[in-house]
Amino acid sequence: MKVHDGRPFVDKVASDTREYVQSLLEEIHRLNQTLADFSSRYVDVEQQNTNLANLYVATYQLHGTLDRDRVLGAIKEVIINLIGSEELGIWEVTGDKLTLLDSFGIDPRQWERVALDREAGLVGLVAETGQRFVTGEADLVGAGREEELHACIPLKLDDTVIGVIGIFRLLPQKSGFEPIDLELFELLGSHAATALYCTRATTRLMVVS
Amino acid sequence: MTSQKKKVLLVDDSMTAMFMQETILAARYAVVRASNGEEAIAKAIAERPDLILLDVVMPKMDGFEACARLRAESATQETPIIMVTTRGEEQNVERGFAVGCTDYVTKPINGLELLTKLNNILGLAAAS
Repeated sequence: MKVHDGRPFVDKVASDTREYVQSLLEEIHRLNQTLADFSSRYVDVEQQNTNLANLYVATYQLHGTLDRDRVLGAIKEVIINLIGSEELGIWEVTGDKLTLLDSFGIDPRQWERVALDREAGLVGLVAETGQRFVTGEADLVGAGREEELHACIPLKLDDTVIGVIGIFRLLPQKSGFEPIDLELFELLGSHAATALYCTRATTRLMVVS
Repeated sequence: MTSQKKKVLLVDDSMTAMFMQETILAARYAVVRASNGEEAIAKAIAERPDLILLDVVMPKMDGFEACARLRAESATQETPIIMVTTRGEEQNVERGFAVGCTDYVTKPINGLELLTKLNNILGLAAAS
């Protein structure tokens, strides 16, 4: 009986095994890359989710009531909890000046009346022009009592400014505004204005009836 | 066989903050609410949540006192507590850990950070 030389067989098994291991390593590398991609996309999706949640919650709270005090409370809560500041003021336009409606963390006596013009500072400028102020967006800085003013948002119905929101010192852990904060400013600028207008209209209707 | 959702007790006097937390968590967790420290203790004992998200500044009883009382209760002494605070300064964080909280998050809440902390504490996979 011929003795079969097993060397070619062993060599072939070794070669096939090496190829198989190499293909497994390549597959592992490919899967790790896919996992990294999915992880990155997951982070992006969750961030988008949080951003949408912010906008949804803010809209719901603003339009969930026709009571003026509760709308003002909702505006303050959005700024404190979703944007991240505990120093704010909310003014409405009354004739040729701004009258403080509500505030948190600032001295209301200092801010009771603000003239509706740029000479009065950034708050007056925003009310006069209808253009928002955000630190870093324009070459403007607050002075004096506006030194800590980080953002000032006009409340507008169509193109008419009916009020202003001022955001002063940010919470210690918040280094600056993020894109979602700017979206919340846009939302407040229109929806807070509408909500406040609706409360006034409701009050007038109740007085008439 | 469907697995039951873990239960999270949200404690905050701000409806906006609680609404935000619930919006982030509701898809993955069952949510129970309380609006102050006293209510939180009662709800925690009654509902036996798997984790408590506890605001710090609240009327009637603040989060620090509520956390200390929850740690003193046999029913809740092992329940993980994440404190939610607008004040991220070191002394407040230290005080939170001193009264027995498990972790903390600062407002405004980052949804991904919150979910990651809950998942790590409750031992669930990050992705469904």
